[in-house]
Amino acid sequence: MPASLFDIWLGILQGLGTTVTVTLYGLMFAVPFALVFGIAQFLTHGVARLLVTSVIEFWRSSAVIILLFVFYYALPVVGITLSAMTVSAMVLGLNAGGYASQAVRAGLQALPSGQREAGAALGLSRAAILVLIELPQALVAMSPTFVNTLIQLVKATALVSLVTLTDMTFRAKEIAQVEYNPVAIYTALLLAFFVVCYPIALAGRWLEARIAAPGSRSHGI
Amino acid sequence: MNHEKSGQGMNTQSDCIVDIQGLNKWFGALHVLNDVDLTVASGARVVVCGPSGSGKSTLIRCINGLESYQRGTLCLAGTTLGLNARETAAARRLTGMVFQSFNLFPHLTVLSNCTLALRRVAGKSHREAQDIAMAHLEKVRIPEKAGSYPGQLSGGQQQRVAIARALCLNPRIMLFDEPTSALDPEMIKEVLDVMVALARDGMTMVCVTHEMGFAREVADQVVFMDGGRILDRAPARDFFGASGHPRSRLFLETILKH
Amino acid sequence: MGFDLAFALSSVPTILGAVGTTLCVAFVSCIGAAAIGFFFEMVRRAGGIAGLTVGFVIDFIRSTPVLAWLYFLYFVLPFYGIRLGSMTVGVMGLSLYYSGYLAEVFKAGIDAIPKGQSEAARALSLSRRHAVIYVIAPQMLRNIAAPLGNYFVSILKATPYLAVLAVPEMLGRAFDIASETYRYTEPLVVAGLIFLVLALAISNGVKRLERRLLAVGSR
Ligand SMILES: Nc1ncnc2c1ncn2[C@@H]1O[C@H](COP(=O)(O)OP(=O)(O)OP(=O)(O)O)[C@@H](O)[C@H]1O
Ligand SMILES: [Mg+2]
Repeated sequence: MPASLFDIWLGILQGLGTTVTVTLYGLMFAVPFALVFGIAQFLTHGVARLLVTSVIEFWRSSAVIILLFVFYYALPVVGITLSAMTVSAMVLGLNAGGYASQAVRAGLQALPSGQREAGAALGLSRAAILVLIELPQALVAMSPTFVNTLIQLVKATALVSLVTLTDMTFRAKEIAQVEYNPVAIYTALLLAFFVVCYPIALAGRWLEARIAAPGSRSHGI
Repeated sequence: MNHEKSGQGMNTQSDCIVDIQGLNKWFGALHVLNDVDLTVASGARVVVCGPSGSGKSTLIRCINGLESYQRGTLCLAGTTLGLNARETAAARRLTGMVFQSFNLFPHLTVLSNCTLALRRVAGKSHREAQDIAMAHLEKVRIPEKAGSYPGQLSGGQQQRVAIARALCLNPRIMLFDEPTSALDPEMIKEVLDVMVALARDGMTMVCVTHEMGFAREVADQVVFMDGGRILDRAPARDFFGASGHPRSRLFLETILKH
Repeated sequence: MGFDLAFALSSVPTILGAVGTTLCVAFVSCIGAAAIGFFFEMVRRAGGIAGLTVGFVIDFIRSTPVLAWLYFLYFVLPFYGIRLGSMTVGVMGLSLYYSGYLAEVFKAGIDAIPKGQSEAARALSLSRRHAVIYVIAPQMLRNIAAPLGNYFVSILKATPYLAVLAVPEMLGRAFDIASETYRYTEPLVVAGLIFLVLALAISNGVKRLERRLLAVGSR
């Protein structure tokens, strides 16, 4: 008896655990990387800044699918053996972290310099100004961008199916081997990601509407 | 009543450009225009003033059909606006509008700003359009900037270009919505001078402005609005005299203080 | 075993040979994505049921991975008897996926034009069509040039996904070498570096373009 779209969907959702796990582990790399390197890029000058920027650009500007393969195949060659899960979380997380670091830096740079001067006038140290005044504002302003990066991260986890992890995409391909019903299988796969990502997108939109002042621009075209 | 009005519309077409009767407009629940009556004869110069949010911009934008209205009639050169899209568009062609924020097209040169409508609306040739545009740029005393982009001009210069642009289609009535209130004080005069010259040439004008010196000099009627109503209307001499409406006197006192 | 530099260098010409294919795929996909994205945005802007539907389609595309779209097209089209080359399917997939993003680029590019511009066009009696052609579109193009360039880089970096459909772009070539020699590291590193250099070079060009457009805007 051929499986229904719903059966197939349930079969694919068996991979949801892996998708979520890779995402969460990925965040453990992404969040610290974004904060540390975003702030470092904001604070440093000259050679130090060049170094920071190079690291960020390596993770951000590389093609993530190639990064994943490179680390998956190359690390054992140089004697480092990590699980596919760890490699995936690290590569996808640092890639997302590279994007988010630019939001952190841009958010900090966008603050009017009066904020820092007001903090200094109150006698706060540079570190205190950063933590108490600048970061809270920058992070709030940039939170919609972080939500978008999170969605990108969730979607990028589809790649781990290529390094043998049993995520939703991998499950879809497994089911495709026993069931010739590509329409149902790949529609179900798209739907599975949609039900994960769309609520996050809606939350991001809600955040954005709360943060942004309502604009009065519209065009009748 | 009806008969009388339509008869009036016919035979006053030549000397009455704008005829507004019982005009009402709402933005959602907000009653922005409340039973407004206003006629503007050919060659008349009407100044509209009043506090912020009183509906001045909305009124002037109704006159060229940028805003629609819900009740009453608005005749522009014999055409009732809002009944028929084609007729409304044809009537709008008889108006020129100048905005508070200039609204020049930043990607076009001063000359192209002026020739755009001549070419695309009036169907003039490239050559003809340029000649007409240059004539109007000379009238507003800025022909030397024809090749510049709006971003390269001062506010006063931009507003003069905007006036020239509006004049190019040879309108029968010019509408100004606070043309000088986005300008630095030293640039206000150059724009007002152009407007005064325009008035001297006999152009019909409806002008929302708080420049009372200008009103005194050129207006033959001053209209005072508040809360979507016309509270006071008087010949300029009376409006600035002692006999005005108490509410408009109060308003005059506050704006003349600075 | 370690990293064999000589072997890595020997794989460079083969992989570089696919740069043309990669750029071509990225370019055509970008144009396709822009065309679909512009169409989407125009329909969404017009509102109504069609507008709401397209708005939802855009959200749907943005909530799903490009890999899933590639599999979808690759396996579903033949099911309906539509047999296309893997390169064509890949370009279609990238175009469709990125159209959801480019629709947003067009939206932002139009929304950033002050409302007074279309009002001035109306006050000058320009028709809707003329207002779009002579007033709105030129300003929109200037607003979208830089984001469009950045999405071109994104699309470029997504072309190696087509390796899963066996399109002979750079990652595909690298895997060909790897499966012949059983050495994965070197060709993959070479492919990765070439992508990195390409992406950085184009991003840099986009940044310059952005600066020039800004300078033009304030002239
Ligand atoms: N498009 C709109 N949608 C909703 N409300 C509007 C709109 N345009 C204007 N209003 C409201 O209508 C009222 C009248 O606005 P209008 O712009 O005509 O006032 P105004 O007299 O020109 O004021 P100002 O001197 O500030 O320009 C205001 O309360 C304004 O908030
Ligand atoms: Mg106003």
